[in-house]
Amino acid sequence: MHCFQFITRKDMRYSYSFAFLLFSYCLTNLLFAQSNDRIQGRVIQQDGRPIAEATIKIADQTILSRSDGSFNSTKAIKGRQIIRISAIGYVPHMDTLDMDNAKKVFLEIILYPKENTIDQVEVRGKTQIQKLREEPIRSIVIDTKAAAEQPTSLAEIMNRAPGIRIRQSGGVGNQVDVSINGFQGNAVQYFRDGIPLEYLGGGYGINNVPINQLEHVEIYKGVVPINLGGDALGGAVNLVTNQNHKKTFQASYEVGSFNTHLINLSGQQQFRNNWFAGIDAFVNYSDNDYQVDIETVDENANLKPARVKLFHNAYKHYFTEAYAGIKNKKWADELRLSIALYQIDRQSQHPALMTNPYGAIKLNNKGIVPSIRYKKSFWDNRIDLDQFVSYSSTNRHRTDTVKGTFDWYGKFTPGTSVGESPNPSLASIDYKNIISRTALSFHITPQHQIHTNFILNRNTRRGSDPLGFRFTGTDIDVLSKEATYQKSILGLSWESNWFNKRLTNQLFIKHFSFTSKGINAFLSNDTDLNKYKSVSDQSWGFGNAVKYQINNRSFLRASVELTNRLPLQEELFGDNDTRAPNFDLKPERSFNANLGYRYATENFATEVGTFYRRTKGMILLTPIQTPFSQYKNLDSIQGYGFDIDLSYRLFKHFEITGNATWQDLRMVDIGVPLYKWIEGTRLTNTPYFFSNIGLKANFQNVFAKNDAIKPYIHYNFIREFYLVHIPKDKEADGFLGLTGSSKVDTKDLVPDQSLMNVGFNYVFPSSKWSLSAEVKNLMDAKLYDYYKIQRPGRSVHVKINYYIKSFKS
Amino acid sequence: MNKIGFNFVLGLLSTTLFFGACKSDKTSDPDPEEQSQSKYVVMTVSDRNQPNGGGYISAFDQYPSGTISNVTGEKTLQGVKGMAGWRPYGNWIFKMVRSSDAAQGIEKIEIAPNGKVTVGKFISSKNQTEAAKYNGTGNFVIQNETSGFYWDAAEPLNIQKFSPAEMRNTGSIDLAQVVNANIKESDVNGIKFKSIGQKFLAIKGGKLFANITYGKLNTTQAGFFDDYFPDVYIAVIDIATGKHEKTIKIENTGGIAYINDNPMYDFDTNGDLYIVTQGTHAQGLGGKSKIVRIKANETDIDKDWTLRFSDFRAADDGKFVGVHAKNGQLILVLNTDPLTGGPTGNINSKDIWKFHVVDVTKKSFKEIEGIPTGINPGAALAVVEVDNKVLLRGAVSSGANAYYEYNYATNTATKSFEVKEGGTLTGFVKIQLK
Repeated sequence: MHCFQFITRKDMRYSYSFAFLLFSYCLTNLLFAQSNDRIQGRVIQQDGRPIAEATIKIADQTILSRSDGSFNSTKAIKGRQIIRISAIGYVPHMDTLDMDNAKKVFLEIILYPKENTIDQVEVRGKTQIQKLREEPIRSIVIDTKAAAEQPTSLAEIMNRAPGIRIRQSGGVGNQVDVSINGFQGNAVQYFRDGIPLEYLGGGYGINNVPINQLEHVEIYKGVVPINLGGDALGGAVNLVTNQNHKKTFQASYEVGSFNTHLINLSGQQQFRNNWFAGIDAFVNYSDNDYQVDIETVDENANLKPARVKLFHNAYKHYFTEAYAGIKNKKWADELRLSIALYQIDRQSQHPALMTNPYGAIKLNNKGIVPSIRYKKSFWDNRIDLDQFVSYSSTNRHRTDTVKGTFDWYGKFTPGTSVGESPNPSLASIDYKNIISRTALSFHITPQHQIHTNFILNRNTRRGSDPLGFRFTGTDIDVLSKEATYQKSILGLSWESNWFNKRLTNQLFIKHFSFTSKGINAFLSNDTDLNKYKSVSDQSWGFGNAVKYQINNRSFLRASVELTNRLPLQEELFGDNDTRAPNFDLKPERSFNANLGYRYATENFATEVGTFYRRTKGMILLTPIQTPFSQYKNLDSIQGYGFDIDLSYRLFKHFEITGNATWQDLRMVDIGVPLYKWIEGTRLTNTPYFFSNIGLKANFQNVFAKNDAIKPYIHYNFIREFYLVHIPKDKEADGFLGLTGSSKVDTKDLVPDQSLMNVGFNYVFPSSKWSLSAEVKNLMDAKLYDYYKIQRPGRSVHVKINYYIKSFKS
Repeated sequence: MNKIGFNFVLGLLSTTLFFGACKSDKTSDPDPEEQSQSKYVVMTVSDRNQPNGGGYISAFDQYPSGTISNVTGEKTLQGVKGMAGWRPYGNWIFKMVRSSDAAQGIEKIEIAPNGKVTVGKFISSKNQTEAAKYNGTGNFVIQNETSGFYWDAAEPLNIQKFSPAEMRNTGSIDLAQVVNANIKESDVNGIKFKSIGQKFLAIKGGKLFANITYGKLNTTQAGFFDDYFPDVYIAVIDIATGKHEKTIKIENTGGIAYINDNPMYDFDTNGDLYIVTQGTHAQGLGGKSKIVRIKANETDIDKDWTLRFSDFRAADDGKFVGVHAKNGQLILVLNTDPLTGGPTGNINSKDIWKFHVVDVTKKSFKEIEGIPTGINPGAALAVVEVDNKVLLRGAVSSGANAYYEYNYATNTATKSFEVKEGGTLTGFVKIQLK
């Protein structure tokens, strides 16, 4: 056994120019007799907690510490070598290691945190976000922390990313759909910390979670890595929360136009013996009573334009998740128990199109979701296990019982029939959902790792609606018959590094299967009400992603994938209302390929990407016999696109960012000759060009020492797009279709749209408080997303943040 | 590199602002060329997965020939929904759904001398929320240029009056007493929905004929295939006085019609009125479907003449979906296979509809030769007359999409013109511009 003692000292090459940084370190080393002139070790904090993703550089090797802080050198090290250890948020260390007399070395390295450096550290190492951006499978990583102080929603900052379009039907809290390279709806799946978001039953999502509660957001375009164990067809969004369990407390309150109030609160504390506990909570409320242009009926039964305030569009939502756990025990690296509670109350102002007003329809969704997560590394950290299980119980209500109707001014006219909508309802539907996610990683060698991921997702639905459908000839409520749906997705990947890590490769394979059981409720057609019908299917997918590091500033990456999206329960069994079942549905299938190049310097970064996709048998809702419709494997899509993303740090205080996306997605393989003319027309309801440009600044010591003011402006442009098929030669012409307009006098068109938001953020000298304000839609432009549903005009929002890091316990 | 990067960003900024500043310019100057006083107007429904079908309307100076596109450019009107035919009156064209947003009512389609198709004035339901709950708002009939009648779900027991020339509502006739007169106390609980004129409005000899609906449902399907009574009631109203004269019945048939721009009745050359009923099946699959007649100078159903679907096929496994009457000959489209509905049904999506001609005196069914068996004629104008030609719509899922000219003498149809682009044919009409 041999022992080294590193000497504490400052190293100016790694020190940063911030006076308030606390720079100290201590390193203890231990030696164990192992093999082959290699070093092993562990990077930890002073209290023994591991530091993941620390960078250890020795000789010509660069090693990253694992989640438990451990690391191994990849090859033999001889002679006297300089070792450098650094990690984001910690003071780096450098020293000399003499290997002449040591065959096997084990180092335990303690790094000390930098204090109060969050916003002002110039990081030379790569942040977690930078690393994610450089994975072989491309993801757009949105640094929500950077925008957390602004009165900005998650949907708004996602909308500024290349290739991504967020559509929101109306104001705060309303439905959000993400379009990724033209994939949208159910083709895009959502995750929270790698777990399918379905387990939170709609109580937590892009349309409602405060950005303050997220560490970052990963958006995968095309190829989706297996650690997100879903059946996403062409895109996935992973909301990543703060996982470091440091002692923190943060709160924010935003007030805005339309009586909007958004409150968020998070706190985490550590206790003795590695126990920890915390809470994340938020409350969203908005009247959403913005002005819209509608038409009212005059005395001649003609329609005349009018501008009114929405009067039945309010949204109220609370979410609370409390958790507790323990870390760094022999039997568990982390065990975390949590319970989430939420409730959403929403008023419904109009049907799918803004053709007529409702004044009393309400929707409610509430749930309770306990979950448990267990992480453990085995066998000298060569095997990592991450197990998650949740059981959620949610209930959804739809109430439409009023006898009469409202006009756009809110005036009520009594009527005789029940319900304002075509489907009166007093529905109460219970959903039970179990999700189990098992992730297992094998670190075979530092160059080769095997990852497996298995998701089991089981859903049951049962409910009642006194005003709803009955099986024909009976008084049996169709919702009273239980429907179950279960899907499982198994993924396996082999990650390998070659040529001294210049080449990284991920080869993966996925297996998808589902089983669903229910009653064929379509007008009780030929149905024995005691005879449940089962359907099941399975399929395979596979792919490969590769990245080649050209030099320190640039790399190339490419990926291909053949994947599936399983039919959902509602698509198979209908909704026991006007959506009929279709037991012959097959999974949607898509081939996706991506190619990208990234170049980054200290002040400039750019990424260009291109993609190709061919999707077969897209599941679409199709009318079959009025008033019924049904999901069918209908269309196939083929297309490609390009995007470019740029950022440039200008002078000392400014940063300018921008991106542009152009995509050409078109219909192919139209099977019915009568509709063959649709072949080659654009995929409907999908923008084909959009771009963003932003300018932000950072001025310090403006009104007081150590304060900061950060003004910003963002501009977003979306080219007009069509909701119907327009023959290719009648589309807007010009270069890439970017000028002019359709040569057809179409009413099914969303026109060119421009959105400009302007704001600033002021950080008080203490760095604990910040105040920000933003004017959204500065030009008061008419904006639409879904089927021309009007979005809010100009609005003003003010937000105050309070943040404490590492407070005393 | 920083300079290059800066230039990149500036370039992107310029591009973004340039396109953001671009204005679409959809207006075009009047096209002086090819202006014609008569226009041939074609309507198609364009997609398979839009409820009620969006589509295109184009106007042509000449009678179309060969294979044409119905998406001609800026002169073509594209509509959101309801491209299921139209109801022309003289040189006017009306639709029951507004092209821009599918609001229910009566929309006038305008054709400019240069052939540009635009939407004209629109008569709305008095309450679009009520109109959205029930089918049928905008079911109309025109007496003359200043007088017409329509049904509005906002006032289901009234018949609305309107001026087609001015396109405005001019009042209504309250017929609640007429509707309620047929309801016995024992029927009250079973009848969830009542209306008059929702599915059938016809004018004959100064009388307005309006069906009375007694439905068992009060949801979207109210009044369609949910008839409480086996007989169809039709109120006869004297137009001059606005007074209800009597109520007549079509016995034992269930539903009278399904509403779209196909009116499901027609006047023969001699003035006889033929009315289609669709039968009793709850999914609209027929059973007891029949065609009845009101003779030219009569106001009662002709008890001596009924054409039943079972006269065509004894199994009675289908229904009539329209009628065209001329010189004592009825042109009908009949299902070759038993009708099936629902997810895998053939009623709307399979090639099962075959043209037949029926001599009203003999009640003999003869297949019309030369035109393929097609799809879904009920949601279109299956038979039209243009330039003295009787044209049959031959739309087949395997590809044919044409109007065929019918020759009564040879009982054959020959292809007149075909549409390759714009979707399935749903209407063809000629108008004369003033």
